[in-house]
Amino acid sequence: MSEFEKIEYKPRSVREILIEMKDISELMMDLAYSAALFNDYELAEEVLELESHVDTLAYQLNMSTMVATRDPEDAEALVGVLKVASSADKISDAAADIAMIVLRNIGVHPLVSEVFKKAEEGLVKATVHPNSILAGKRLSELELASKIGVDIIAIRRKKHWIINPKGRETIQKNDILIARGSHSGVDELKKLAEGTLQKLEEE
Amino acid sequence: MPSKEQIEKIVEMLTELKNTSELMMDLAYSSILLNNRELAEEVEQLEEHVDELHTEFELLVLSSGFKRQESKNFLGLIRIGVVTEKIADAAAEIAEVVLRQLEPHPVLKLVIEEAEETVLRIQVSENSSLVNKTMREARIPEKTGMWVLAIRRGNRWIRPKPHTRIHVGDILIAAGYAEGEEDLKQLATGKSPERR
Repeated sequence: MSEFEKIEYKPRSVREILIEMKDISELMMDLAYSAALFNDYELAEEVLELESHVDTLAYQLNMSTMVATRDPEDAEALVGVLKVASSADKISDAAADIAMIVLRNIGVHPLVSEVFKKAEEGLVKATVHPNSILAGKRLSELELASKIGVDIIAIRRKKHWIINPKGRETIQKNDILIARGSHSGVDELKKLAEGTLQKLEEE
Repeated sequence: MPSKEQIEKIVEMLTELKNTSELMMDLAYSSILLNNRELAEEVEQLEEHVDELHTEFELLVLSSGFKRQESKNFLGLIRIGVVTEKIADAAAEIAEVVLRQLEPHPVLKLVIEEAEETVLRIQVSENSSLVNKTMREARIPEKTGMWVLAIRRGNRWIRPKPHTRIHVGDILIAAGYAEGEEDLKQLATGKSPERR
């Protein structure tokens, strides 16, 4: 990473930027852990790209906060916003550290998969079989988050990763899905993707 | 070669580091959203716990007698441990905002409320089907897509374990996808028939 882009002030609200930083930094942790767990080089590269995006956002947030500060009261109230933003930035850096483990071929001991089996949230990687009921459905019609407590955080389609897919995204056969959620939920998603389960069983 | 016992201990400690660091982030954001000093203090205490646990974890890995060719893999483990510690620090930094300022800026509350994952504080009423169930029996994540981070009972905080029993009047602090918020409200208040 030797190239640094010039960062210009953009008239965006502090709130909007901070929401984006918080969401991306949390997503990055899951993506980074997934990259380590599934030893996925390209997913790790996606994490690094997101990290530099979060850096840009951090600069923009600092600028927007400065513009919004008019008096000492504003300064006192807004310093907390900057602290939260700096925490989100640190989390994105921590995620990038994990991605670097993968990219430098340091390797992750097989023990790590044991850790993920025992952790509170499960992560899963599953390929969508042509017979899967997920194929051809939009994420918004599946409502996986509310029905089985699972969130699809990335989709690998042909040679590209779609990170944090939106509701309008349609799942296609042969997509590789990375999802997080409750252990029973991610198990169910894997079966749905592989076509061994043909009905979305709501809990 | 590390013994089976050492390996089990390594897995157990790294799992606790990962879970605790993530719990801390959720609690830290919750402390801001609810402007709650006690939650923030809980985060600070957990941060000390993570520091100690992380040191123990590193000592354990270093003393487990691995071979040269395995050492690269163990480096990956150590690095993941470091990351959990960094997340814990970042969470403590967020909690500090609450501990130092009386009123977080309204923008922070909006941010946490509008983010994809949300935090909910809800009291369990006597009509709720959750009453007297253990966390495992209650199956809240499966039913609502939300995780209970902490339970406030009287004036103490309980970190829910699978066998923790839910009482009438407990206040649940839960995080999860915004879609699950309404489901959990109904479950805790018992106001609408439970979905299968």
